[in-house]
Amino acid sequence: MNPVNPAAPGSPAAPGSPAGSATRAGSATPAAPALAVRGLSVAYGDMVAVHDATFSIAAGEACAITGPNGNGKSSLLMGIAGLIRRRGRVEIFGAVAPSGDVRWAARHGLTLVPERRQLYPGLSALDNIMLGCYCWTSSLRRARNSRPFGTAIDLFPELKGQLRQQAGTLSGGQQQMVAIMRGLASDPKILAVDEPCLGLAEAVARRVYAALAEIHEAGTTLIVVEEAPKRALTICNRRVEVRNGVVLDTP
Amino acid sequence: MKLGNLIIAGLTTGSIYAVFAVCVSVWYRVSNILNLAVGDFAMAGALGVDNLYRVKSWPLPAAIAATLAVVIVFAYLYDLVVLRLAQDGPRRQEGIVITFFFTFALSFFIDGVAKILFGTDVHAAPALWNGGSLTVASSLHIERAGVLVLACALIIGSAFWLYIRYTLGGKAMEACGENPLGARIAGIDTRRYRRHIFVGTAVIAAVFGIVESPITGFTYLSGATISLTGFIAAAYGGFRKPGRALLAGLAIGILEALLGGYVSAEYGDTVLYAILAALVLGWPRAMGFESAVSG
Amino acid sequence: MKALRSTGLVVVAGVVVVLVFGQQYAGSVFVLAVCYAIVTAGMAVQLGFSQQIVFSQCVFMGAGAYGVALLNTHFSMPSLLATPVVMVGCGVAALLLGSVVTRASGLALAVATLMLPLIATGYVSSAGYLGGSVGAPLTGNLWNGSSTESVAIGNGLITVAFLAVAVFVAVRILSSDIGLELYALGADERTAAAMGIRTPRRKLELFVLGSVFAAVGGAAYAGTQLFVPATLVDPTAELALLIMLFVGGRRSVLGAVVGAVVIQYLYGASSWVSVNILIIEGILLTVVLLVDPEGLAGILASLLRRLGASTHATPATGVPATTPVVVATPRAIPSAPFDPPAPSAPADPDHTLLTCAGLGKEYGGLTVLDDVTLALPARGLFGLCGPNGAGKSTLLNIIGGSVAPSRGRVLLDGADVTRLPPQLRFGLGVSRTFQTVHLIRDRSVLDNVAVACLTSHRSSIVSRIARSALAQARASAADTLDRLGMAAMSGRDVSSLTLESQRMVELARAIAARPRLLLLDEPASGLSEQQRHRLGELLREFGDMTCVLLVEHDLDLVAQVSQRIFVLAGGRLVFDAGPAEFRVSPLVNSLLIGEFAPRRPLGG
Repeated sequence: MNPVNPAAPGSPAAPGSPAGSATRAGSATPAAPALAVRGLSVAYGDMVAVHDATFSIAAGEACAITGPNGNGKSSLLMGIAGLIRRRGRVEIFGAVAPSGDVRWAARHGLTLVPERRQLYPGLSALDNIMLGCYCWTSSLRRARNSRPFGTAIDLFPELKGQLRQQAGTLSGGQQQMVAIMRGLASDPKILAVDEPCLGLAEAVARRVYAALAEIHEAGTTLIVVEEAPKRALTICNRRVEVRNGVVLDTP
Repeated sequence: MKLGNLIIAGLTTGSIYAVFAVCVSVWYRVSNILNLAVGDFAMAGALGVDNLYRVKSWPLPAAIAATLAVVIVFAYLYDLVVLRLAQDGPRRQEGIVITFFFTFALSFFIDGVAKILFGTDVHAAPALWNGGSLTVASSLHIERAGVLVLACALIIGSAFWLYIRYTLGGKAMEACGENPLGARIAGIDTRRYRRHIFVGTAVIAAVFGIVESPITGFTYLSGATISLTGFIAAAYGGFRKPGRALLAGLAIGILEALLGGYVSAEYGDTVLYAILAALVLGWPRAMGFESAVSG
Repeated sequence: MKALRSTGLVVVAGVVVVLVFGQQYAGSVFVLAVCYAIVTAGMAVQLGFSQQIVFSQCVFMGAGAYGVALLNTHFSMPSLLATPVVMVGCGVAALLLGSVVTRASGLALAVATLMLPLIATGYVSSAGYLGGSVGAPLTGNLWNGSSTESVAIGNGLITVAFLAVAVFVAVRILSSDIGLELYALGADERTAAAMGIRTPRRKLELFVLGSVFAAVGGAAYAGTQLFVPATLVDPTAELALLIMLFVGGRRSVLGAVVGAVVIQYLYGASSWVSVNILIIEGILLTVVLLVDPEGLAGILASLLRRLGASTHATPATGVPATTPVVVATPRAIPSAPFDPPAPSAPADPDHTLLTCAGLGKEYGGLTVLDDVTLALPARGLFGLCGPNGAGKSTLLNIIGGSVAPSRGRVLLDGADVTRLPPQLRFGLGVSRTFQTVHLIRDRSVLDNVAVACLTSHRSSIVSRIARSALAQARASAADTLDRLGMAAMSGRDVSSLTLESQRMVELARAIAARPRLLLLDEPASGLSEQQRHRLGELLREFGDMTCVLLVEHDLDLVAQVSQRIFVLAGGRLVFDAGPAEFRVSPLVNSLLIGEFAPRRPLGG
């Protein structure tokens, strides 16, 4: 199913309301949450990073995943996105994610902006962003002319002059912006951002959060992983705490 | 004109080095593995076609098709079994010392198989374009096979460049080498790209082996020397820049020809290697080394 | 002691095989294998352990072999006497060649030395006096006995003796404090230099060592085989040596020996094997690498570990998966008041330790630093802030010595150190951490910290055959870890720690060196609020003992702990005052906290 759908509704959906999920054709139930996680476990060898996590996020919500560092937040996100081996059940808008496929999540509406950005340093910033479109098209021309790509480029207009530069030569803050733009270019229903402000100066961190707020207001479900809840809660209306690999749901 | 002919001869052998250097570079960019077996695939192509055509009397097109098919299947299986285990299995291998040695072992293996199948004599695939050498501008001679080699190099090189520059798939392929995790996050199947490039590299090498073997002839050990020179030329391109690897290959070919022609037929190669060593030691950054693999 | 154990093993096994098999086929294959083993033992030290990818061993093996052949044939020198002569000659040649070659590192080094076998082959095959492309025969056995039996046994025992010495020397060096230096050098040359290791010298010493071992192996080869084939200096010979090393175990001296023996026996095992030897080698190497990149030695080691673990029922480093467990954060922050090791000289707060005068740095056309001047006393904590790309890391690199400025000077205690390399600055008391963690994987926390406590920098590798101060270095490291409250993790493998713990280990390493000037590059990055608080306390204590320059993005932390703060913007120093002014300065506010672009609705 092609997740490239016409523009999402302009106003954010209230938690739990079915409005957000109606955009996806053929969803399983009228009130399918954007993300439903049941019994998710992630282990590295003998060490269990995430233990039996169960929670769900409704469409249009902005959820902060908080908790001390080293307690499993990133592992949780990576497990949900399918990038590392996991046990348990993950559903994105009612569709069950197969556990072995690393590309499934990206193609079904969940895009991850990973910790430490993971850009392609030798490619230009523009190419980096364009590759965000890879999960829904294989044509360069279509990607370049598409709405998601255009939206992504417009997110941080101050970078327009630097787009042709190699991504590896950009500053940390600029790289974070490019990473978010790449995430947005995939036209996600759910954008999950892991530690967006790691190593960034105060001014840049605020700018990044302003952009995330914009994205949320346009209707995308947002998940933000942050160690310090203070900043994340300025834009999030929901919070999930992870301690010792265990998820504690907090309204 | 001696200089002109030397340069043309140099360009011909140089383009062979260049092609192999590009294969090594591209493959490295995508997979972070150094393929030392390119020369052996070339040798397999040449000797395979020769064996089927000359010894078993198959028609030439069938011989070529069959040989390439075998190369494709073998390369595919090798990546599927060995490289997948090496890179994605429970024990991930990293570092130049390891990336090197898998294909190094592979080249031994291919040489061993070739020795059994084709014996130890010098052979070559039949010339694809028959006739003596062509004469251009009344004093420059160029082998027909050499023209074919250059033409193939140009075609394959341009096709690849266009692919990288102007298609999303090409950029995705580059992304695989730049940051495999980042690529997977964007939904790129890094394993599949890697496999396709490995097989592609093997086939291109085999094709070149077939095309150029009439000029030099191959034994079951020739692959090792070609792999080595391809590797060296790719190293001068910093391993990540196929364009520079191409130029480096051509330059080495021309230098080799000039040294052989003007300095000494016997010691020409030795002087060439001494010069290459001196260049690396004296100007490593200019030669493209600091940007390359780190241990 | 490890060296005696390994050597003893080699001696016993070697003598037994030589005496039992004597001049039979198995015996002669063994002797040949021992000749190669001498070479691979050196390769284990140079290539495997210290990761110096050098391809010249076959050339020196050839040099040793040809040397003995020539001395024997033309000067009638007995082979046994010719061996030390050849050893010294090759040692000198290696010294000369190495001083040129080891200027390069990593891949450049590999490619440059790759040319050596090619050059050697070209030369040898055209050199008449060396027997051209065929080779040089000789008549002098290592042991000039009366009967073929006694010659065979004598040759065998002598080569085993050579190998035993080689193994002893190699293992002594690897298990000494310089061995730790070499491992660090192999892991990351730049960080090793920042920790005071004299990398150029060590690389040269390694080159000479590897070459001398190879020469001895070659001499033994000539004295036992009585013929030096020209293919000995071929690249394929080098490849064969590499196979022996990798199959056996590249980081283990004994492994390298075993590898040589295994491969040589394969060559001679049966005619079927020798016909298909290439295929077998290819498959063998691939399988061994897949199972364990450390080769047979690695496989054996894991087997032993697993056997040991099951009999002693000791839990593995992880925790059984039945209980939910944090991804390991042992207590890395001290709960007791910290008592940092005092720097070697008393710190006088009025004495100016560091002066940067008019520093400037350009990369291509880009100006990264412009006329930066500052001075730091011998004690105190100073912050360095600035927006991204302002030049903070570059400044730190210039002070630390890994980057040379385009203009300006750096003075330490009044002495101009601008051109001094990082390892020598380390010796003067400059110690630093890096933005990304640069620890040695596969080594314990203790060893990683001990790298900074080594006192062996000025000693030569050869001295380590006799004595080693590794235990003292480890004791110093343990002391530092103790004071930091990190003693519990000192035995753990660094790769199993979380990022924050790794950062603490880097910090511990920087402090263990008892620096007079401590450069910290974003130590709080990735740490939680609580951990930052503790870090702040730690930093204040350091500041009481020594001079600390702290690059940080966390402005609250910087304002809390620093007594003076510098701000860089666009490569220039724009602010230099105390924390009170820092908090209220409008310039600082606009630069670092600043307003952001007005919100724009996402358009379609």
